[in-house]
Amino acid sequence: MNAKFADYAHPEALVDGAWLQEHLTDPSLRIVESNEDVLLYDTGHIPGAVHIDWRGDLQDNTVRDYIAPEKFAEVCSKNGITPQTTVVFYGDKANWWATYALWAFRLFGHDKVKILDGGRDKWKAENRPMTREKPTPARTQYPVPAARKDAEIRAFFEDALAFSKAHKPLIDVRSPKEYTGETTHMPEYPQEGVLRGGHVPGARSVPWKTAANDDGTFKSAAELKKIYTENLGLEPASEIIAYCRIGERSSHTWFVLTYLLGYTKVRNYDGSWTEWGNRVRAPVAKGDQPG
Amino acid sequence: MSLGYPPPLAEIVEFFDGLGEDEKRENLIAYADAAEGCGPKPGEGFDLTDERKDEECTDTVGVFLRVDPATRAAHFRIRLGPHVQTLTKAMAAILCKGLDGATPEQILEVAQDFVPRIVGGNLVRVRSQTVYYILTRLKGACQVWLQRERAAR
Repeated sequence: MNAKFADYAHPEALVDGAWLQEHLTDPSLRIVESNEDVLLYDTGHIPGAVHIDWRGDLQDNTVRDYIAPEKFAEVCSKNGITPQTTVVFYGDKANWWATYALWAFRLFGHDKVKILDGGRDKWKAENRPMTREKPTPARTQYPVPAARKDAEIRAFFEDALAFSKAHKPLIDVRSPKEYTGETTHMPEYPQEGVLRGGHVPGARSVPWKTAANDDGTFKSAAELKKIYTENLGLEPASEIIAYCRIGERSSHTWFVLTYLLGYTKVRNYDGSWTEWGNRVRAPVAKGDQPG
Repeated sequence: MSLGYPPPLAEIVEFFDGLGEDEKRENLIAYADAAEGCGPKPGEGFDLTDERKDEECTDTVGVFLRVDPATRAAHFRIRLGPHVQTLTKAMAAILCKGLDGATPEQILEVAQDFVPRIVGGNLVRVRSQTVYYILTRLKGACQVWLQRERAAR
């Protein structure tokens, strides 16, 4: 095992490139690429990896919500995944969408999940094999999950509002200028339809990038403890809600808190700022203080 | 209908119009692969060079414009940073080819409604809107070129 992983609360939730390259043909694994760049998988991917698209496969494309359990079972079945399959996620953007897909799998009770530390960029930087050949996994019969476990790891507007009023831990993982309200889009991205800038009153600013190294890998356990445990005063049993704009950057932070630090009550508010910043009469704080 | 598009672009739009989603993806990847060859070649001269990193794009985009003084035909070269999204790379190659030979005035008239016809409904969405960015940059270069031409008269 990668020596860095041993200090995390759940070292089994991470793999590195060397390990994954040795397990490319392991029948108990399914490697899943999930990206922001919708065509990136088609330009080349890890041999044997299937593509699961955050929008097309995991979201309900009519209502702003996730797919129903029946659709999740179909997504898994067509990609050769069974409840016993360990799914290894990786992707672009330092694994934003990989952690988002992992979080969505957890919504349906699929707990055998891992992340490739450093994601797609690190795999490529290490000159590990890539292919354009798309795998055709044998279809499985994934049983339809009884329900989606929204209450455990997902937060809604009302939950975030209650946390704000009660001064419970809310973490805004967006860039500093998005937090202060100076901009309504993140750096390098176009405006995505938010009418107000600022943050949820009471939320503390801890950009997602704080938890990542420049190569997209996660920071060490000691560094993460300093950021979240010492600086924010969060305890492993603290109830925490993380948010960003549409829930992908906060999935990264959710993964860090849940798997790397072992916090047990972390929820991702996927409605995030695109819901809060458009909501009529939602309270908004401006500036660099929580408010 | 592709009325109003320069003929090479109209041809590309009509080609993509007839494709299913999977074939669109395959052809977009082929265009994205070709984007690397759209950069300026050694020895080429340009009337206008505009290479910058904007807030709304993930990496640097360089636009190089040459306009034939006799025919007013515009020729573009586009250089992309490595982190530009695949769709944006594909659109750069498509526009380099599709707008080649059109006049700056014609390029300014090109409506962006061809983009979903090429890309397909499944790929135009939040986080892929920068697919429109390249056309905006090419039009911006044409505008500057026309302003300079007017100022020189």
